[in-house]
This record gives sequence, C-alpha cells and structure tokens, in this order.
Amino acid sequence: MVQTAQPTGRHSGADLLEGLEGEVSGVYLQSHPGATSGARDSGYDSLRRRMSVLDRLAHTHAAWLLLSLSDEEAGRILQQQPCGTFLVRKSARLQRKVLSLRVDDVAPGAVSDFPIRESQYTFSLEGSGISFADLFRLVAFYCISRDVLPFTLRLPEAIATAKTQTDLEQVAQLGAGFWESSLCRRKDPSVSPSRGSQVKPPQPPGDPGPHLSLRTRAPSQLERGQSNGALCFVNPLFLQAHRLEGASPPDPKSLPCGPALRTPPPRPPPPRSLPRRPAPPPQKQRSMPETAAWTCPQPQPPPSVRRGIMGAKLSGLTFSTPKRSSAPIPVPPPRLKKQYSMSDADGLRCQIALDERTIEKALSQRRPPAPTAESPSPPAVPGACPDARRRSRGEPGQRLSDVSISTSSSDSLEYSHSYSLSGPSPPSGDGPAGDSSEEEDDDMEEEEEDYGMSVESDQEVSVPLPFKSKKLHVGGTFVLRRALKGRLRKVSGVFNSFMTPERRAVRRIAELARDKGAYFGCLVQDYVSFLQENRGSHTSGLDLLQTLRQFMTQMKAYLRQSSELDPPIESLIPEDQIDQVLEKAMHKCVLKPLRSVVETALMDFQVTSGAWQQLRENLALAKAKQPQELGVDCTYPPDPVAVEKIRHKFHNMRKMYSPEKKVALLLRVCKLIYTIMEDNSGRKFGADDFLPMLTYVLAQCDMPQLDLEIQYMMELLDPSLLHGEGGYYLTSAYGAMSLIKNFQEEQAARVLSSEARNTLHQWHRRRTAQRTVPSVDDFQNYLRVALQEADSGCTAKTLLVHPYSTTDEVCVLCSQKFSVQDPESYALFLLIGETSQQLAPDTYPQRIKAEIHSRPQPQPFHFVYRKVPNLNLCGPTDQQNGNCLSD
Amino acid sequence: MAIRELKVCLLGDTGVGKSSIVCRFVQDHFDHNISPTIGASFLTKTVPCGNELHKFLIWDTAGQERFHSLAPMYYRGSAAAVIVYDITKLDSFQTLKKWVKELKEHGPEDIIVAIAGNKNDLSDIREVPMKEAKEFAESIAAIFIETSARNAVNVEELFQKISRQIPPLDPQDVESNESFKLTRQPATVHRRCC
Repeated sequence: MVQTAQPTGRHSGADLLEGLEGEVSGVYLQSHPGATSGARDSGYDSLRRRMSVLDRLAHTHAAWLLLSLSDEEAGRILQQQPCGTFLVRKSARLQRKVLSLRVDDVAPGAVSDFPIRESQYTFSLEGSGISFADLFRLVAFYCISRDVLPFTLRLPEAIATAKTQTDLEQVAQLGAGFWESSLCRRKDPSVSPSRGSQVKPPQPPGDPGPHLSLRTRAPSQLERGQSNGALCFVNPLFLQAHRLEGASPPDPKSLPCGPALRTPPPRPPPPRSLPRRPAPPPQKQRSMPETAAWTCPQPQPPPSVRRGIMGAKLSGLTFSTPKRSSAPIPVPPPRLKKQYSMSDADGLRCQIALDERTIEKALSQRRPPAPTAESPSPPAVPGACPDARRRSRGEPGQRLSDVSISTSSSDSLEYSHSYSLSGPSPPSGDGPAGDSSEEEDDDMEEEEEDYGMSVESDQEVSVPLPFKSKKLHVGGTFVLRRALKGRLRKVSGVFNSFMTPERRAVRRIAELARDKGAYFGCLVQDYVSFLQENRGSHTSGLDLLQTLRQFMTQMKAYLRQSSELDPPIESLIPEDQIDQVLEKAMHKCVLKPLRSVVETALMDFQVTSGAWQQLRENLALAKAKQPQELGVDCTYPPDPVAVEKIRHKFHNMRKMYSPEKKVALLLRVCKLIYTIMEDNSGRKFGADDFLPMLTYVLAQCDMPQLDLEIQYMMELLDPSLLHGEGGYYLTSAYGAMSLIKNFQEEQAARVLSSEARNTLHQWHRRRTAQRTVPSVDDFQNYLRVALQEADSGCTAKTLLVHPYSTTDEVCVLCSQKFSVQDPESYALFLLIGETSQQLAPDTYPQRIKAEIHSRPQPQPFHFVYRKVPNLNLCGPTDQQNGNCLSD
Repeated sequence: MAIRELKVCLLGDTGVGKSSIVCRFVQDHFDHNISPTIGASFLTKTVPCGNELHKFLIWDTAGQERFHSLAPMYYRGSAAAVIVYDITKLDSFQTLKKWVKELKEHGPEDIIVAIAGNKNDLSDIREVPMKEAKEFAESIAAIFIETSARNAVNVEELFQKISRQIPPLDPQDVESNESFKLTRQPATVHRRCC
C-alpha cells in the first residue's frame, strides 16, 4: 500500500486529479472544492491544512476518546453538538467500545451508538468490511468516508480548524470538559457555518454527498493545491525516514524518554476516568524531531533514504495511503542513521529551508514545535534511543500505513516489500542509545527463535514465504498486513521486520519503564534495583518468583488504569490482546534486567538448601537407569545424538528471559521427543507413553539447571497460559523433574507402597527382604498402638517403631509397654473403619501405615493390640471376631 | 460467538484407552482451523454448544502408579474430568473409583465428572457389568457412557454430554444474544453432595 518512491510532486494538480485510477497511493479528501476556499484561504488555513485528520485526532483524543463515559453522559455531551459529532467510548450496556454519533440535528438526543468490533488484530465498525490497525485510523477514516455510517464524522471546529499543535493541546487539556468549554462553543459551526473545515459537514442521512465530495489526490497535488483544503492521510514511514536524516535526534541524555515527563518525584497520574486529563507534556514532542520543522524547515529527504523503505501498493482501492509514505519501521532506524551524517542533514536543511513547499509539506505532516529537537545530538550518539522511542510509542501519526482499507469493491491488494536499507549494525554505542539498539537485535533474535518454533516438526522448518510482492485477492473484508503477520508469524521470522502494533506498544511501555520521571518507570526501576541489591531478602526461590509475578501482575493492572500510557492502550490494541501485550512488555521491563539476578538467586537457594546436591545425585542415579526402569515401554528412546540436540535446546532456553519463549522451546523439545517415538513405532502416543519418555530424556540430559528453568517458567508464566499446550507440557516437565528429583525416594516409596499394598492384601504370605528402604514423607518412626482389654477399654501408647520392624517385633514391644501377662495370646490388629484385620507376624506396621497415609483419601485407622479372639487358651476373650472396637 | 476454553482432564489406568478416545474425538471431522498440537497427550477441539463455542483443552495423564502423585497438577483447574476404565478389566474400574474419590476430595469444586467405559466393542469378555457402572455413576451424579474408541462409538456423545453440563457464560453474552436465550436450556444437573 505504500510506495517507496518519493512524491514526484512538482507537476500540475489537474493531472493528478484525474490520475486517480492509476497507481493511486494517496487519498486526499476535499470538501466542496473551491466553495469555501476563498473564504478560508488565509495564511493560516494553508498551514492548518497541513495537519492531517489523524494528527488532529491523535492530539485531541483526550476530548473524544472517553472510554469510561456512560450512555447518559455521552448523550448529554452530544446533544449540545451538531449532527455528525462523535465520541468513542465503552458502552457498559454492550460491553464493548462504541462510536457514539449525533445523528439528527433536530430531534433532541438523537444519538446512535455504532459498536466497534475488535477482532484479533484490528478494529472495525460493526457491519463494515474495513478494518483498521487502531481507533485513530478508524475514526480518521470515518471522518472522510461514511461507509456504514449515515454520514461522515464531524470534527469539532476547534479541532478541525486548529492552526497549531498548541491549539490542539489546549483541546486535549480540557479532556471531556472540552465539550462544555468556550473553545468548543466558540467554534460551533452553527455560529459560523460557512467556515466549514476540511472535514466535511455532516450530510443528512441517506445523502450520498460524502462520497461525491471525495476526491482522491496525489500527494504532490496536495502540496501544490494549498487552497483546496485537502485532508491528507500521511503514511508515517516517510516521515520517519524524513525525520531520520532531517531532524537531529534529540540527545537521549538530555531528554527524558517517556511520554510522561513530570517533575520528579513522580506521582501516580490521574486515572483515566477523570474527565480532564492533564495536558500531554510538551516534551512529548521531542521524540518527533520533524516537529522541528515548525521552527526550522525540514529538509527534503533524499531519495536514497527511501529507496529501501518497505512499501506496498494498493490498487483498485478507493482509499490508500499517500505515495510518499511508507510503512513504519522496515529498517531499524539506527542503521539509517549511520548512513546519514548529521552534517549532511544540516546541509540539506539549510538548503531546503528556502523551499516554501517543503516547509508546508513538513507542516502538513507533522507535529508542533519541539524546541529540544533542534539541537542536534553529537553524531557519536547514533540516536537509537529516540528512534526506538518513536517506534515504541506507536504514535498514531506514524502508523497510517497500517490502515489497510478495502471496500467490497476492492479486488486486489498488492504488497511489495523491499529491504535494502539496512546497513551494517550500528556499533553498540555507550549510553542508552547503544543499549537500545542492542536490545532490539536481541529481541529480533529471540523472536525469530520463538516464531520459528511452534511450527511443524522440530527440524526448524520455516515455510519460505515470498518476501516480495505478496498478492492477496480478497473480496469484502480483507486481512490487514498486521493480521497477515499475525497469521504468519509462526511461520517465518522474516516477518519480524514488520513492526506490529503489538511490538510498538511493548516498546513504548518499555520506554516508559525506563523513564524515571514517570510513575510507572519509577516503580519498575525501584523494584528492579531493589531486587538486584537485595536478592537475599526472600526466603526461598519460590518466594522470590512469586513476588516477581505479583509485581508484574500489579504493574499490568496499573498500566491499564493509569493515564500514563498516552494514548491509552485500548486505542491501539484490541481489547482481547491487551493483556498479552502488557504481559510481554512486563517481561521486557522487569524480567529482562533481572534474569541473571534471579537465576543466581535461585541457584543460591538451591545450593544452600541442599536441594542442588540432592538433585545432582538423583539425576546421576536416574541417568544410569534403563528406559524400562523409568517406565518407558514399547518404544525406543532417543539416541545420544538426539539427546545432545535436546540438551542444546535446553541450553538455549537458559539464555532467555521470557517465560513464554522458554516454554516455546520446551514445546520444541517435546515435539522432537514425539517425533522420535512416532518414527520408531508409527503410532500416536498419549501421556501413558510420553511422560515416562520425557522423564527418561530429562534424566539423560543430566542438566540440574533445568529444574531452575522449570521453576522459573512455572511461577512466572502468565497464568492464563497455564491451561494451554505450553502449560500442559510445562506441567509434564515439572512432574518428570520432580520424579527425578526424588528418584531415590520415589523408588523407595514405590517399592514400599507396592509392598505395603501386598502386605495388606496378602496378610499372611508376605515376606519382604528389603530392610534398607528409607522413609517416605510423613513416615514417622512412631506408631501409636492402642491396647484393648476386654474389660477396661483402650489405652494407647506411642511406640518407637522402625520402618523395618515386623509386626512380631512390635508385638514384643507392646507386651513390654503394656505389661501384658500373656503376650502369646495377643496380636496386633489394624482397624480401618468397621473392618479389623490381624497383622501377620512378618508384616511391617510402619509400611502399612505409610501406605494408608499415602492414599488419596486416607481413612482413620488404628493399630490395636489385643487378644486374639479365636484362641481359647487364654480364658475369657472377646469372641466378636475383630469387631470389638466398634462396640 | 464466544469461545470458552475448558480444561478437561483424562484419568484412568494405563491401557484403558484414554488417549484413543480423545484422538478419536479430535481427529474425526478434522478441522483445519484447529491449530494442531504437538502430540497426543494434549489435544484441543472446539465444538459449538448453544450460542457458545467450547474449546476443550484435553489433558491426558499417565495412568501408571508411579505418576499417580502428579495427578493433582493435571486436574487442577479442570472444568471436567473424564475417568476412563476398560469394561474388560475389573481392576480398571476399581482404579476409577479411587479417582472419583480423589477428585471429590481434592479436585476443583464444581468439576464435572464423566465416566467412560471403554472397549465397548469387546463386550463378550466384559468384566464390568454396565448396570453396576451406571449405578455407580448415578450415585455420584456423574455422566456415564460406554464408548468404543476403536469403532468410534459414543465418543462425540461423551463430550457433548460434558458440554451440556457446562453452565452458560456470563449474563452479558446472553443479553446480547437475547433470541438465543430462550431457546437455550442449559442442562442443570443436581449433583449430590458427598
């Protein structure tokens, strides 16, 4: 949808008006061309038209994006407004976002809610086939085309006619209060209807007018035809490239990073529900160097910068992004930076400063002045930080190319991408800049690793995708590039180069987290440094991990509620994706800096507690076992080569900080095990076969560190993922590991439990030889035995009885402790519920006790020492065979 | 339509055909929209139920005694448990009773228990009378069905029965689909307290 070529913009506008059918890469809208131009063509009009609707919307979202507004409040606000005025909010009744639109000038309170559908990757109006990457684009589009609406949206005059960024900031500052303010009323078109802005005045329902009045125009025409009041949708990539070489990057050190640049100490920003939001801090603009154009003309980007910019072309669409724009971030900006020395840029700037058109164009595209952007940072600092920030912010203005628009008439969409730009990786500089670029590379790697992973077999198959010129034929709704990416991300790491909105959001949060001036940043930084310095403050590894998880969960909740993320994340990411985006961001902000600290701490805990040593010993034991001894049956285990391969994967896992990514690697290992099992037998295996095999493989890998990895994943993985496939195999790995960890004990318990069961079932025949069996969990060397006498009821004593003491020995002990006269006539009985069983002399009471305890639902039981009923030699005895206690 | 993810845990002795039942369930009518899982121990399948979609996340467990102690990790958080026994093995029915007990004691509170007597195709060597199993199931208010994974008998039905016992989703969803609300009569099951 984006053309890489520079706008050719010097030929006549008339040609271009007609040139719409060809390769239109930009749509410009024009309301009643000529009709109002005379009236409006004052100097500032020329300027104000340089701001796109998208820009205006982005700057003033505090006024119209009022998610917490109730039906009543929305109705009240809109009633005062002319037809076409809108708000975006979340309807409590529908439990979804809606576009509330004033639909009738006459009828009071005629407000309609148009539900907004949030699919997995996009936003769209219910009933429409056009999807958008975020809410800003959606609204911007409906300002121009009505599609499923009765008419186009109408921007309030104050927004539509704002001349400068400052004007917009004023609106934003008022928040919901804007609608009541003089600013809004003053500009009411009913007062001055003739001053129709470039936003179309609303049409009565059914009036096809909006479409008729649409004119698509090429960018160059826009540039020239300043009196036509055209709206433009500007694709951000161009701007980005433009900025990159044109404006000097702000010095990352002198400029705070996050959008919320309050004076320290930061306070929690007001919750979003407050109708008036604080004005976005003016510094916010710093990261958009092109805004410098307001004070210093922006140089025209030389074509070479754009040559490699990923582009896409829309054809046959009624709407597309301008030709000169490009998709955001095909190339890491730091690299771009490298190609452009500052002096070049300065030179260009001076030269181009004289070109009025350039100025205007720059103005039309971007934002208000940011004084700091003026001072170029030393070329030594590659400026990676601001670049990254720009991207991470996901500024709406830069994302227009994400809008993919089609109508049902569109029949083809062609993307063409090219990637020539990336130069060599920038040397990792010192300071934040170097850090930032490093991180990006790091991310790329990880994500590639990740995305390649959940696919197919383990052979690292990545489906080769035509990288250039993907053609999609669609009727009706079509999937956005973003959606496309979503689908394909599993398949090809190549697509990582598309910066998804998700990634942008993550980046943005990461920036905020680094910003000590932001409340969120402060919390995160404080916590991270606290953990780094005081990792001993936790009582155990589990405690540490759980605290960490809790912190991340709380921070996620905070981000959702606070206004520090500006614009709110709801406007960028569909509702059902927000949590996972936040989760990812948390991993980056919190786990990434802490990974090594946590790892060391976990290890220390294990070593101190002796668990490490025990694990090593047990692993060694388990490793020496044959597959069959671990329960592997009817299939061949992996050979040493395969085991080595698995070990390698586990090694890679250790390098990652994201629990999700670790789990993805674990899945890869499991997949490999399945493949080996199935190759060797040709059938499907369930848990009966898989779990023993996994246990065997883990034992063969002989990596005690894996236990820490599993612990890390178990505790830190997003709880919502625990029920899925990752959760399943993680649970299995955890289970297998704990069997190995307790290998000796487990073997003991197994022998024990089966012996004990046999003892219980075959009372008189059992003879066990093993005397070296150690105890199981709640195996105590004590046994409570009650003495039951026919006449005097029960007295109980607790005796010291070793696990390998036989019933015979216990009886001797009892006779001593209870001082019975005729031990021969007494025996030891086990009573469970109503049943009573005499224990054979060679059974082991402690084992029997252990077995009963280990039952899922242990019943109360007693060991009773009493006279054997059927022995008559000892005079009067209880004849009720075995049931005396229940009387 | 709302998709609800339902964790279902499979319990039962080794060799009774736990995974065969699920493989049959998942692989019949194979739907390409379902992302395939890496192996047969964890399978998913989405089925429509009323105005909802139920996505079953099916967790298989290892039936061998030595893995018994791991079971709580698997049934934790399950909406339903399918306990499978082999009608030709009395032992497996005893194990089933043990699982029922354990679930009542330690399982999630409102877990739906379904008892599946598998290998129904081998009824000539049956050891567990259907009547006995059925009565047992009734006594604990569990779903009961005899299946044959081999012949694909009653496998779908088993999961349909589970689906019907899942309480409908939150009221909002019902509200926005009012027309369905009237037609949909979620099965209410009065489960006895043990």
